[in-house]
Amino acid sequence: MSTDAGEPFDPQGVTWQRVSPRLTTARRTVLAATHLPVVVVAVVLAALLTWWIVLAAVVALALLAWQWWLVGRQVPAWGYAERDDDLLVRHGLLFRSLVVVPYGRLQFVDVEAGPVDRRFGVATVQLHTASPGTDAAIPGLPPEEAARLRDRLAARGEARLAGL
Amino acid sequence: MTSEAADSEVQQVLADPGWRRLHPVTPVLRAWKVVAVVLVVVAQQGLDNLLQANLPGWILLLGVLGGLVVVGIVTAVYSAIAWRRTRYRIDADAVHIEQGVLWRRQRQAQLDRLQAVDLVRPLLGRLFGLAELRLEVAGGAGSKISLAYLKEEEAQRVRNALLAAAAGVRFAEGEVVAEAPQRAVVEVPVPRLLLSTLLSGLTIAVLVVLAGCVVTVVLTRSVAPLAGMAPGVLGLAAGFWARFNNAFGFTVAESPDGLRLKHGLLEQRSQTVPPGRVQALRISQPLLWRRADWWRVHVNVAGYGGEEGSGDDCTVVLPVGTREELARLLLVVLPDLGTGTESPLDVVGSGLTGTGTDGGFTASPRASRRLDPIAWRRHGFRITDRAFLARSGRVLRRLDVVPHERTQSLAVEQGPLQRRLGLASVALHSTPGPVSPRVDHLDTATAAALLAEQSVRARAARAAAGPERWMARGD
Repeated sequence: MSTDAGEPFDPQGVTWQRVSPRLTTARRTVLAATHLPVVVVAVVLAALLTWWIVLAAVVALALLAWQWWLVGRQVPAWGYAERDDDLLVRHGLLFRSLVVVPYGRLQFVDVEAGPVDRRFGVATVQLHTASPGTDAAIPGLPPEEAARLRDRLAARGEARLAGL
Repeated sequence: MTSEAADSEVQQVLADPGWRRLHPVTPVLRAWKVVAVVLVVVAQQGLDNLLQANLPGWILLLGVLGGLVVVGIVTAVYSAIAWRRTRYRIDADAVHIEQGVLWRRQRQAQLDRLQAVDLVRPLLGRLFGLAELRLEVAGGAGSKISLAYLKEEEAQRVRNALLAAAAGVRFAEGEVVAEAPQRAVVEVPVPRLLLSTLLSGLTIAVLVVLAGCVVTVVLTRSVAPLAGMAPGVLGLAAGFWARFNNAFGFTVAESPDGLRLKHGLLEQRSQTVPPGRVQALRISQPLLWRRADWWRVHVNVAGYGGEEGSGDDCTVVLPVGTREELARLLLVVLPDLGTGTESPLDVVGSGLTGTGTDGGFTASPRASRRLDPIAWRRHGFRITDRAFLARSGRVLRRLDVVPHERTQSLAVEQGPLQRRLGLASVALHSTPGPVSPRVDHLDTATAAALLAEQSVRARAARAAAGPERWMARGD
């Protein structure tokens, strides 16, 4: 990361919190669970019918490998930082984005965890303002950190709540 | 809670003289609406089937009429029960409404969260002198409160009382609140509306379709393909009609309760948007309006955007206006642009037509022409003491204005090509609506500075913003 003052994705004086590396495992599990059945079905069909159905299995495997690699790169790119008056959420490598959400603008905060997420001990904190454009979700937080963040945001939001 | 206590509470509420009912003609109107819908569906879908049934004409007619009568009676009875079980009450802090036949619902909306009040008079309601009152409270889709139908004078009285209460003016129970005085700002003449509707992008679509028709007719030497075009032509005509019907007789007025809009040919709508409820504003100009120097203005008002099918119906504050009218409108919607010694109109004007660094705008660097060869000179922003102005579009010119205190959140985005060219885009998030302000392809250093400064500015402006109850200002 460059420390240039003109770098919009790395404002000065901000220490980024990373998300849990367990998110990588969770996402890879989901990937495997969706792609491997396709591979198995394709191989079985190829054995029973014609050989070229194997190509579908190859494509599915290639997709799996590519996304496997991508998840490994994407998860460390997630970051968030609590500043005095706002929360920063950053994500993406190829298409990067950084969202600044003032605490006073928070309408509500969701904490969500699907079955796979729960198995690996991660949760997603989703922030909502009055704007549908606010795309600020932090996946891959350990449940206790997610709960802490939620309570913290709720407390700060209340203290600074203004009208719309 | 014991049933006795509950009963006494219910008794207490029932005894409250503040509870009112909707107009008794309501069930008839609702039943007629359902019958009309059924009639249209039958006419469109079932006519062929009915005619193929080989029944004598009078049986057919009797069957259809009988069916409609039954549908009408059933819905009228249901609506009558629903009407009996619906009531509303307004006090100094909230609107209460109770409704529902099987699933009862009680809703209470805080008046200090009131975003807009619309008085809608549908064609049929106008025959009976009835109107619907819609209150927008910005709680997402379905948060609208609808009082349908009220007698027109009562609807106006209720609206005035609501606005006065929401403004923080206290009034005694039963007191009739006078309508806040209003001053006309802009009236859109019908000939101009007609011409501007014809000069819109829709016309280009019509011309393209017509050209296609002519070519196919000439090539195939038969008129059969024309029948295939019919639905498309009908759709376009409906588009023209919707625009004209909605914007007919458009008047903008100013009152202490805020912006007042009145428009509509068949269905008339009177909107009141209190001060400080406009979240963002977009001034735009289709290509064909350039000669006449006409402009259209949309706004984001929380609550309007969340409703399904709201479209242009309620978010347009000026369907077509000259630059001079635009200036008058801006004075009402955003009275203080915070331009200091400069004339606000000059600043807005340079945002409307300027390129590069005209009028103090910060523009996209030359590198961005590779990503947007047509409009890159138009991408730019300007910051005044009170608002953020984002300029874009060469063919369809656009200028977005967001008061600093209305910014919800900010984002900076960068794709791989932008990264290579040292560019980034900045977006300001506003409430749902037609305006989504963003500045594309800024220099990364500019984008970083803008992000940092704008979040500080928005915070300062929020802290200094007036109270939600606009008349309570300065207390």
